[in-house]
Amino acid sequence: MCIQKLFLSILVLCLPLGVENLHAQEYADGPHNRYTSHGLTFGVGLTNVFDSYLSPLEYTGMEIRVQRETFRQTTFADGKIYVQTLLNAHASATENTAGNANMYEGLLSWDLGYLYKFRLNDNFSILAGPALDLNGGVIYNERNSNNPAQAKASIHLAASGMLLYKFHWLHKDFLLRYQATAPFLGAMFTPEYGESYYEIFELKDSGRHLVVTTPFSAPSLRQTLSLDFPLKQTLIRVSYIGDFQQNKVNSLKSHVWSHAFLIGFVKNFQLVKPGDSNFKHTPLQP
Amino acid sequence: MKPVRYLLICFLGLSGLLASCVRGEDLDNDAEGNFKALWTILDEHYCFFDYKAQTIGLDWNQVYTTYHNRLSKDMNSMQLFEVLGEMLSELQDGHVNLYASHDIARNWSWYEDFPANFNDSVHELYLGTDYKIASGLQYKILDDNIGYIYCPSFNSGLGEGNISQVLQYFAECTGIIVDVRENSGGELTKAERLASHFTNERILVGYMSHKTGAGHNDFSGLQEIWLEPSDGVRWQKKAVVLTNRRCYSATNDFVKDMKECPNVTIIGDQTGGGSGMPFSSELPNGWSVRFSACPIYDVNKNHTEFGIAPDINVGMKIEDLLKNKDTLIEFARDFLKN
Repeated sequence: MCIQKLFLSILVLCLPLGVENLHAQEYADGPHNRYTSHGLTFGVGLTNVFDSYLSPLEYTGMEIRVQRETFRQTTFADGKIYVQTLLNAHASATENTAGNANMYEGLLSWDLGYLYKFRLNDNFSILAGPALDLNGGVIYNERNSNNPAQAKASIHLAASGMLLYKFHWLHKDFLLRYQATAPFLGAMFTPEYGESYYEIFELKDSGRHLVVTTPFSAPSLRQTLSLDFPLKQTLIRVSYIGDFQQNKVNSLKSHVWSHAFLIGFVKNFQLVKPGDSNFKHTPLQP
Repeated sequence: MKPVRYLLICFLGLSGLLASCVRGEDLDNDAEGNFKALWTILDEHYCFFDYKAQTIGLDWNQVYTTYHNRLSKDMNSMQLFEVLGEMLSELQDGHVNLYASHDIARNWSWYEDFPANFNDSVHELYLGTDYKIASGLQYKILDDNIGYIYCPSFNSGLGEGNISQVLQYFAECTGIIVDVRENSGGELTKAERLASHFTNERILVGYMSHKTGAGHNDFSGLQEIWLEPSDGVRWQKKAVVLTNRRCYSATNDFVKDMKECPNVTIIGDQTGGGSGMPFSSELPNGWSVRFSACPIYDVNKNHTEFGIAPDINVGMKIEDLLKNKDTLIEFARDFLKN
């Protein structure tokens, strides 16, 4: 109870107050003032969808996307290990080149990454580490008969890398961040080449539906370029997401390529112990 | 600003690396491109090449040569459609169609080349005006206490409750006729649902397979298809299924299932067939194509693509029609009473 009270009392919301003085502050690397960052962004983009189970043609159109990120410093390795959870959800409506057929696609992905930070200098850091990547969704072609949809479900171990660069411009602090996550080993659900879902679900066909994926069979990449900056009392995030999910398994090829631009906000929480005279406020991640 | 440069290099490099990894083939939207796309879609996905080579002498490579020679650069859209439609008709498959905004290319020889063995006007006399309807099933008790069900399609929302109610209504009947003539199919699950009311045991009714690759012989092993008995009302007396050449696709599958049920006799003409579950695809110009993708076999592992023979072959007699009698229904009534 005492410990709970202590933690409740020391978790203080640290919104970027006093942004005019940010440039003078140092960034806490140690675990005693570790912080958690929450980002929520929304946006639209362009999508290119191709799935040879449904059509030999690529479909293009618009998507809407939301991304929720939690980035938390841990006590491990003297505060150099960070945990990141990323929730990406997007839905798109696309049409074929002739403009007479539509395909609808939606994908939800959740990433859990453990990143180790290499701090190169006060402004520049590199983070790298493994991530668990879960994906689920569906692609639906409105005019197909017995192959109207393709289910997407996969789990991957991925490598994730992040570059952080903080700079000061026009009397404000900016945080430029680039992150790339690419799966290197995993498993995914797929029907066999010409198999109907009737066989899978009605006849309980025990075909090769769970396949191992590698960078050769699922060369995918999700990358984000974002810029955080203060605007009045709020931290704004604008970002670009390039999401390239691809696979070629069971002689079936599929890709969902997205280019989305998002905007949203970021909130930083920082752990403060009562009476901590060494507390250093960290409004932007170092 | 060196780090910014690093960021941009990483960003552009990785984007470029992956931008063209997994794609379909480049397909030109001209006569040549659409022809090749259609021929290739069939070549890689159609499931009856070997069977049709044996039964009707189909040579798909020869088909390419023959119809490719009919292409010209200045042909218009309708001329191209005609060539492609004729090419598809070489497959003699009712599940193979090309859909354009102005027409549907098809081969309906599976029933057009055969006697109808069905007459709308005479059939209406049997149903009268006081028949009942349960989610697409039209039914009544005939004068001689024979229950009669007409099932024109398996596209209706036919549920367990509907079928049980109908069979309950026929409880006192000597036997029932399930007339699926002119029924050209619908949903396989609905066909199985109706058939499941005619067995008390779980019975093997056939097999299904699918392509595992683009080669003509790349097929999975045969997956058993079992008919589970319904939890609702199950028919325990004699039953007759009436068929003609327009019994196609899911209806062909229904007849395949009913053939294995006890107390069920198939009477009429051979069914139309259509045992390949159809998939869809499309051409660069947006025309949609449908083709048989997953073959379904009978319990003896034989194809039923060209139909299922009845247990008793009965055709419509002109003298019966002149008396407003349906030969098949009359034969079935006598069969059930004896």
